[in-house]
Amino acid sequence: MAHDWQPDYEQLVDEHQSMVFSLALRMTGDRGLAEEIAQDVFLELDKRLGKIESAAHACFWLRRVAISRSADALRRRKVRGMSLWVTIEEDHGVAAEERDSPLGTRLEELLATLPEPQRAALVLRYQEELTPEEIAATLEAPLATVKSNLQRGLKLLRAKAANHLQEYVRGI
Amino acid sequence: MEFEPMEDFDQKLKRSFERWPAPPDLKRRLMENRRRRKERPQWFALPFAVRVAVSLCLLAGVLAALYGGIAANQAEQRRKGEEARQQVLLALRITNHALDHMNRQLAAHNRAHQE
Amino acid sequence: MKSWIVAFVFAAAALAVPALAQTAQLPAPPPVEKDLAARASSVDEITLSKNMLAAAAALFMNSKDKDEAATSQLVERLDGIYVRDYEFAKEGQFSIEQIEQLRKYFETSDWTPIVRDRDRKTGESSDIMVKMVNGKSSGLFILDVEPKEISIVLILGPVGMEELGKLKELAFLGIMEGTHHTGPDNSK
Repeated sequence: MAHDWQPDYEQLVDEHQSMVFSLALRMTGDRGLAEEIAQDVFLELDKRLGKIESAAHACFWLRRVAISRSADALRRRKVRGMSLWVTIEEDHGVAAEERDSPLGTRLEELLATLPEPQRAALVLRYQEELTPEEIAATLEAPLATVKSNLQRGLKLLRAKAANHLQEYVRGI
Repeated sequence: MEFEPMEDFDQKLKRSFERWPAPPDLKRRLMENRRRRKERPQWFALPFAVRVAVSLCLLAGVLAALYGGIAANQAEQRRKGEEARQQVLLALRITNHALDHMNRQLAAHNRAHQE
Repeated sequence: MKSWIVAFVFAAAALAVPALAQTAQLPAPPPVEKDLAARASSVDEITLSKNMLAAAAALFMNSKDKDEAATSQLVERLDGIYVRDYEFAKEGQFSIEQIEQLRKYFETSDWTPIVRDRDRKTGESSDIMVKMVNGKSSGLFILDVEPKEISIVLILGPVGMEELGKLKELAFLGIMEGTHHTGPDNSK
């Protein structure tokens, strides 16, 4: 029963810290900034803990605030996506090697080059596996806009990935 | 340009966009910050009117302490001055008494000499 | 050569300062006072520095009483007041030798006796000394001895007998004349 559910801050941190951090990291491409955003998001959660009605509500709320804060941070710092993925490759060198495709981290680099609305839609689609309707609710955006952003973003990403693959192949 | 099938690309994206693990000490920092927030008075969580009232009370207390201190110092100065004044009066009375006696003695000696 | 002159000037100034300070400083109580106080039935011991006199003068000045206001002018110019008054329950509580000790203690080279009166019958005596610095009065000493009372008055500063004579005109002193004596326990 939703009304029997009591928010447990520490439990929510355990369950969702990776999600929040990862959303912020893919949106900003900056690990340090992503940590700051994650701390801000959970600080905000602590303040509003009494208003969280259920576990699903907590997850929904955290995604929304993480994306929102990331977008705010991007606007403030006007981060250029391409130049910041070096940090990810250095910090996550082991993780990158474990991925199936050599394009794994490269896709993340390419993701950072997309416009912010498309990036947000794609991250929520492929990291969180949300449906377009759920993405629209999270971003508080019209469903048509979300679908458009998903389509355009995917197309752009795919095109950039194809170019990179060709360059990769030539480099062997 | 040759694109791979969308289904394949779609799967690649899903695999690539797995969640990154949070920094190892993120939770520790979050819990530490939370603990400190709980210990600290949540000043800005108070209603504005309450904050104004508390601020005015604090200001009044500081002013009262200052005024009290100044007033106490002035009272002490007055007390010391009054004490000195009383001492001066006593000294002058004693002096006056001594001079009176001296004059009487001198006058008596003068009369005795004249006789 | 210049450095020697400068050093000499500073040395002379340094030596002069303590001397000047001594003329302005009230003396320490002579040991014989302790004996007198122990035998007296009433003791008044007043020592007022220049600072305390200034504080008193300020209050006199602000007083609505004309006499007190006039006293302010006298008091504010003084450097110090040293007054002792010992009253005894009966005669014979002190000796002539003790009075001599008192007078000798205060009669330093700075002081010039102007009055010395002795009554061998009654044992009463009066001594007045003045302190002159550069031809100007800078202190006044009175030692008045009665059969059952000893009064010592030492005033430092530009005060002479004329100023003290004006004390007689101060009505408020006359009103309080009989009330300055304390009880056996020296309470006021």
